[in-house]
Parts: sequence; C-alpha cells; structure tokens
Amino acid sequence: MGKGGVGKSTVAAALSSAYAREGKRSLLVEVLGRNRLSRLLEDRGVGTDPVDVGGGLHAIAIDPQAATEEYLRGQLRVRALAEVLVHSKAFRGFTAAAPGLAEMVTIGKIWQLAVELRPEGDAPVWDRIVVDCPATGHGIALLETAGNVREIARSGPVHDQADRIEQVISHPAATGVALVARPDELPVGEALDAVERLDELGVPVAAAVLNATTPQRFSVQDDQALRAALADGMPVAGRTAAAAALDERVRAGREREQCARLVAAGLPVIELPRLTGARVDDEGVAELAEALAVRFRAPEAEAVSG
Amino acid sequence: MTGPALQRDVIVCCGAGGVGKTTVSAALGLALASRGEDVVVVTIDPARRLAAALGMHELGDDPQEVSPDAIARAELGPGGGRMWALQLDSKATFDRLVARHAPTEEARERIMANRIYQHMSGAVAGAQEYMAVERLFELREDGRFARIVLDTPPAGNALDFLDAPERMTRFIEGRALRTMLGPAAGAGRLGWRALHAGTAAAMSLLERLTGAQLLRDIADFLRGFDGMYAGVAERAKAVEALLRSDATGFLVVTAPEPEPVREAVMLGRRLSDEEYHLDGVVLNRMHALPASGLGAAAALAAALGGPADDPDGLAARACAALEDARRIALRDLDLRETVAARVAAPLTEVPAMADEPVEVAGIAGIARALAG
Repeated sequence: MGKGGVGKSTVAAALSSAYAREGKRSLLVEVLGRNRLSRLLEDRGVGTDPVDVGGGLHAIAIDPQAATEEYLRGQLRVRALAEVLVHSKAFRGFTAAAPGLAEMVTIGKIWQLAVELRPEGDAPVWDRIVVDCPATGHGIALLETAGNVREIARSGPVHDQADRIEQVISHPAATGVALVARPDELPVGEALDAVERLDELGVPVAAAVLNATTPQRFSVQDDQALRAALADGMPVAGRTAAAAALDERVRAGREREQCARLVAAGLPVIELPRLTGARVDDEGVAELAEALAVRFRAPEAEAVSG
Repeated sequence: MTGPALQRDVIVCCGAGGVGKTTVSAALGLALASRGEDVVVVTIDPARRLAAALGMHELGDDPQEVSPDAIARAELGPGGGRMWALQLDSKATFDRLVARHAPTEEARERIMANRIYQHMSGAVAGAQEYMAVERLFELREDGRFARIVLDTPPAGNALDFLDAPERMTRFIEGRALRTMLGPAAGAGRLGWRALHAGTAAAMSLLERLTGAQLLRDIADFLRGFDGMYAGVAERAKAVEALLRSDATGFLVVTAPEPEPVREAVMLGRRLSDEEYHLDGVVLNRMHALPASGLGAAAALAAALGGPADDPDGLAARACAALEDARRIALRDLDLRETVAARVAAPLTEVPAMADEPVEVAGIAGIARALAG
C-alpha cells in the first residue's frame, strides 16, 4: 500500500517474484483494475484465472463482475439457479450499483485464493499471495470492507464469510501490509499516516518498503576532497562530475532522514535501489527482487497497497 | 504558462496519482492570490505538511483562509488577493446533495439513518469524483470566490472524473435495481413473488446468502433516492455544462514517469476529443541534464591526485553519479517528447526541486515555473 506513483506495482511484482525464486508458489494479484493492468503484466494474458507469467511467477487480475458470478456459482449448489441469477438483468443492475460490492467480492476472492488447498488437500495452492492495492485511501477502504460488511449483514452466510475474512486480514501470521514509499517527505508522511490508520483498524503492518533510493557512494571525506578539488579549479568535465557527485550525496543524505522517520515509527524498512533504465522491465523487476532478499515476518498474504 | 490557462474562472488539475497535482494546485492558488485575485483551492487529501505550509492545521470541508502572511512570503507579486483552501469531504457533500434533493424531510431522514448510507456511501461507484464536481458547483454559487482551482481525486483512472456526473445519475436512477429490490422493503420475505418468476427465484437465493436484513437495507437505501432523480439529473447536467463551458479550463498534470505519461496522453486525447478546454499540460519534476562527462574521469582524478583508472576510486564513483544523473535526465527528456507529441496543449515544465516543495518557498518556486 502507498501513495500514487511510488512504484507499488513494480514492488509488488518484485516481491512476488522474490518469493517465487526461493521456491514458493507465489501469486501476484491486481485488484479493481478496470483494465488498468500494470504495464508489467500487460500483454501476458493475465486474466481472471491465475496465469504463469514466467520466472515461476503467477498472476491474476480480479474482475469484480466475474468474481461475483463465480462466488454465486460456488454458493448456490443448484447450478441452474445460479445461472438464473447471474443472467438476470436485475441482478446485473444490482452488482453495478450496490455500494461496496466490488470491494467485498474482491477481498473475498483474495481470501479464497489464500485458503484454497491443493487437490491432495495437504497444503495451500499458494504459499504467498502479494496484492497490488490501489492508492492508500482506496487500499485502506478495501481492507475495511470485510469489517463493514460483517457489521451491516447481521446474519447469514455473507456475514459469516465477512467475519472469517476479517479474521485473516487482522492476523499478523496471515496478513502483512507492506507500505511502499519513495524516500521523499510527502510519500513518507502518507505512509506514516497509513500506519496509524491501519493500527486503528487492527491490520498488521509488516514493513515499509523505501523504493527508488539513491545509492550512497560518497563519504564525508569524499565530500571534502570533491569540494577542495572544485575550489582549486579543474577542467569543466571534472567540475560537472564533482557537482553531480555532491548533488547525489545531498540527495542520499535527505533520503536517510526520510528512512529514519520510518525506522522511528518502529517499522522494519526494506530499501530498494532506484532503477536508471529507460523503463521498468523484467530486468528491473529482477534487480529489485534480488534486493528483496530480506523478508517480512511469516506472511501468507501481503497487501502492497498505496 | 501562456494563453487562457490562468485566465479561466475554474481551473481543473487532473492526472495520475503521485505526480504532484495537489502541490501544483496550491501553487496556482498562490500565484492567483498574488495577482490580486480571490481564489479557493479544493484539495482532495492534502498531505498534512502541505496544509501546514499554508498555515492551516485543520483543513476541513469549509473553505479556510490561507494566512495573508503565507501569500506575502511567497513573494510572487503585489498580492491583494485572498486565498482559501478546503479539503473535500465526500460524505458531507453527499449529505448536502441529499438534503437539497430529497422530496420531503422524512425522505431525507430516512436516507441519513440508513446503515448502508452511513457505512457505504463512499463506496458508491464514482461517488468521490462526483462529489468533487458537485462541490465545485457549490463554490461557484457561493459568490466569494472569483477563481476556483480544483485538485481531482487520485482515482485508479484519471478519466473516471469525467464520467462521474453520468455515473452518479445512473446510480440514482438505478431502475433495474429498484425493480428487483422494491418488494423487499415493503413485503418482507415473500415479496419476491410479485416479480418475474425467474428474478423472484434468484432474489430468494440472494436473500438466503445475505440475510433478509441486508437486502432490505440496500433496498431502503436505494428507494430513499426515489423522487431525487429529476433534481440530481438536472444538477449533474449543470455540472457537466460548467465543465464544458468557457469558464472552465483543464490542466493535465504529469511527471516524467512512463505510467503517468501514458495516463496524461489518454486524458489529453479524451479532453480534446470531447471538446473540453484543455489549456495546458504540466510536466512536473523534470531533472536537469548535466553536461557530458567526456574526459571527466581523467580531469577529476588529476585534480584529486589519484589514479584515473581505479574503478573504486572517488573519480570513478563521481563519474558514475554523473552518468546516472544524465541517464535519468535523458529518460525525462524522452518522456517529454512523448507528452509534447501526443498531448495537444502547451507544455510547461517544472524542474525537480532539490528540496521537495513542502514549504511556502518551495511551492512559490513551482508557481514561478508555472506562471512565469
């Protein structure tokens, strides 16, 4: 989870692929996409069923309408009845307008993926599920949905299911939110606000991911040496490089302050390097996945929202 | 920024999340107030730090005046204008919409008391986007503000914003839904018989899943909007007319990142195709391109007194930093070309600031880049 534009989708893909690399059955989930699948998964046939997207990684995009129909088919044992409902025009109107339904079926589908067992019944189908959430406000609303529905539907199967989902979301061994931020004042501030909000909701925050950090290449001594060289004068190319180095050091120093704010909030912080490629591609994701060797505390499902 | 961009009564800033829309909106507000105009900036979810920079700690749904001191400190112009800011509260706006259009006091109270309304009205598809434009309309009617700058919600898709009035009208209309749920509210469990046999069977099934109470609450919620349709539809039409009129101009805000640029291109195309006034595109956080590092390693190594070919030496590391800075700036320039070629509006660049603009001085720096 995190503010818009901090690289949530990229981090989610990298995390999911880091799990896959260590032999876990890892599923990357995109939600409430309305055809806005991240560029990384586009054109790889990712749809409403898990697809192998290469590198041992599987991905799925949850479409609320399809998930609603699937849910009903699962609930209503008599298939003909489910078909009547799914194909009824009135029901389609209902699914389009009922407030919160899209969020509820989305979170329900993620829950179902998380608890689904292999045919042998001895282990879950997915060891790790990484959810690429919408931007912070919407992401938190998504996590709140089950609790809201449990309150609103006072009895019946939907109430019970919402209750079970809520228990999984609030259990630190099952769920952990990874808050993603760029190392800047405003995204870090928003991540810290989100921590407060998630604490109130009882949703465990597993870690903060500080994305796109500047390398720390220069020491205090380097700084002094560069300044001295600049003061002495040298050809223009040398000055340009020295200035770039000093700028980078200032930038990296400011980022340390932002990192410290997250650490001060008691969050384990995972830092990811800034990518300088022309666009984020498989290579970039692989680089980040490599950097994600550090892992969250035993999470089964992680919500990378933002 | 030239042309009509800063002249219109209403300036709508739209674009993907995280590109700095709120900061750009605040900067426009400061620029206009410094020119002597009375302006209100509607923000969606400003960072506390940003609000604090403008001297506001409790930003709420009512317009709050920015301290004249903050405007003076921006040093952007003669001043003389006043600036207000508010944070959109969708629920409060929804409440006022209901109050305005509910046919009777009783109908109004029935909606307000409904549990679905209380918990889920924010989740009505498109509600937040619609409430942003609804609020815009209210502020136009307020009369205090000659100019309005609207920061749009960080929707999953920046285009949702343009569809909001229509989606809201469709929601309030919701005929299919009400036909289906209608009897649930009145006749209780067996009410489904009044419907087409297939639908009735389907609804009984649904009721079994959700419990009768939930369906009844939803039905109540939707029936509550009976009699509001005409009023809301008319309002939505007026809102839409305002967005399309000469009084309103759009600025597409983006940053040199692939995803926001892609959204900016789509948004620009749609605004142009549908004949909204697309007055400009703002490319925020552009990195400056440093000069080439040709010969830098040798020159620097000589000045530092170390070997030029030590790959871990300071000269080599400094050159690597320069190389990275150039790659980032060149990537930005590539994306700028994409924006310039594909969005039919004057482009204004805002340089990446050394310090993230969270103080008046920083916001004023952006205002200078925009209005200069």
